[in-house]
Amino acid sequence: MKQSPRDKKLEEVLRSTKLVAGGFMGNDSRHPIEIIEQDIVAMEELGVTAMQVADRMADLTELAKPRLGNWIDYAYGKLRVKSEDYKGRLVCPWPHPGLFDKRITTVEHLETGKQISWTDLNIHMIAEHGFFEGKGAYFRIEPAEIISILFEDKP
Amino acid sequence: MVDFLHFLLTVLIISSIGAALAMVLVLCEKYIVNYGPCKVTINKDKVLDIQGGSPLLTVLRDEKIFIPSACGGRGTCGVCKCTVKTGGGPVLPTETPFLTKEEQAADVRLSCQVKVRNDIDIEIPEELFNIREYVSTCIEIEELTYDMRRFRFELQDPPTINFTAGQFVQLLCPRYKGSSEEVYRAYSIASDPTQTHLIDLIIRLVPNGICTTWCFEYLKEGDSVKLNGPYGDFRLSETEAPMVFVAGGSGMAPFASILSQMRNIDSKRQVKYFFGGNTTKDLCMAEEMKAFANALEGFEFIPVVANPEEGSGWTGEIGLVTEAVQRMYPDLSKHEGYLCGSPDMIDAAIKVFTDLGMPEENVYYDKFA
Repeated sequence: MKQSPRDKKLEEVLRSTKLVAGGFMGNDSRHPIEIIEQDIVAMEELGVTAMQVADRMADLTELAKPRLGNWIDYAYGKLRVKSEDYKGRLVCPWPHPGLFDKRITTVEHLETGKQISWTDLNIHMIAEHGFFEGKGAYFRIEPAEIISILFEDKP
Repeated sequence: MVDFLHFLLTVLIISSIGAALAMVLVLCEKYIVNYGPCKVTINKDKVLDIQGGSPLLTVLRDEKIFIPSACGGRGTCGVCKCTVKTGGGPVLPTETPFLTKEEQAADVRLSCQVKVRNDIDIEIPEELFNIREYVSTCIEIEELTYDMRRFRFELQDPPTINFTAGQFVQLLCPRYKGSSEEVYRAYSIASDPTQTHLIDLIIRLVPNGICTTWCFEYLKEGDSVKLNGPYGDFRLSETEAPMVFVAGGSGMAPFASILSQMRNIDSKRQVKYFFGGNTTKDLCMAEEMKAFANALEGFEFIPVVANPEEGSGWTGEIGLVTEAVQRMYPDLSKHEGYLCGSPDMIDAAIKVFTDLGMPEENVYYDKFA
């Protein structure tokens, strides 16, 4: 895949460990653009957009924030969610000003025990850049997995 | 259709030229541009002769002048402010979120964002000249909870430090597998200020955090570690007002140091210390708190657990730490509040304090945001 200089620079930043431990790409050898495109296709097949996923994630983070790191039930007791914040901020790797609180939200599906976690930066990167991180990255979010937990009414 | 393709092609060509020019500029900046020797004049007095091209924060650090920074120069904390009288260039978009209009009018800048490209005049507080870099040895690592450890560092060079209880140091996290760059992170000192050869830090593991991952997975007893400091204005006031301490997680650190200081001076001040955890597994240092309670007649430690586990036998306060404060006090207008913990907890506690009548200027905290 041919990359523009800007895309090359972006890939360099995403693979570097300057902003988060281990970087945003994990062991994924695909270009970021490919990752974004393939995740979009995966979501289209499931009938959900990146913005819808990000909106649901943001709603859950807002719901959990006042509980200061404690679980709160959601979706009639099917899910529970907690949000823990830490000192400091995370920087968006895209070339624009963007600082995000170091907050980690975790949702657990109480029947299956499945858990999924994200940062405030994940919400931004999914909403604005369609980026779910590379496979193997610490906060990689699999579209199918998060949709199965957060959008139970979808197939 | 042909017109559309023509338009698309034009846009592509212009975008490519723009991107190529930007790339050339970046490469020139990196490999060709030589800013040459520059002078950094500090407080109209001290002059540093340095090679231009690096951020002011780094230039000063290389000269052993340490501006406090909680993020190590990434432009994310807004702590490394100093006044740049001349030669700093325009304020960058990365700085504006951290600078008030008054600060911008007074030439205040983030030293990590100001690149020294020419002679530059700056002003910094005189006390920053007292901040030193310390080479230390990690002599003890103690598990406090499942995600919190106390690291004890013995100072080697220089061998002692003078600090006020409540202050913090910056720890240098070296390059390791998870991070290709050295980074500094700020941590409150937990040790007794009279033990001048030791620095204790209480660190909570941040999932995928650069520095805490290194501390938990790589740092071993016997390793050499660089620290610099002390920094910060978080400390006991000199009044006799009764106090409320609220902390969670590694927010325990400055209070452990402050309580040591109170014990050293046989303080009689009234203080209730609310320490919050989600479960009993988040509580720590119970024995040390009991010892402080025995030594300090005005001190009471109140651990608060939001969700005690079944069978834990927990008989103490239940709920959020802020709820316990609300239950305990109808009025805090005569009290001082001291906070350390997560930013959300600090925000929630400030609201509770002020709702209960505590004047905002009597609330003290270091958010390290």
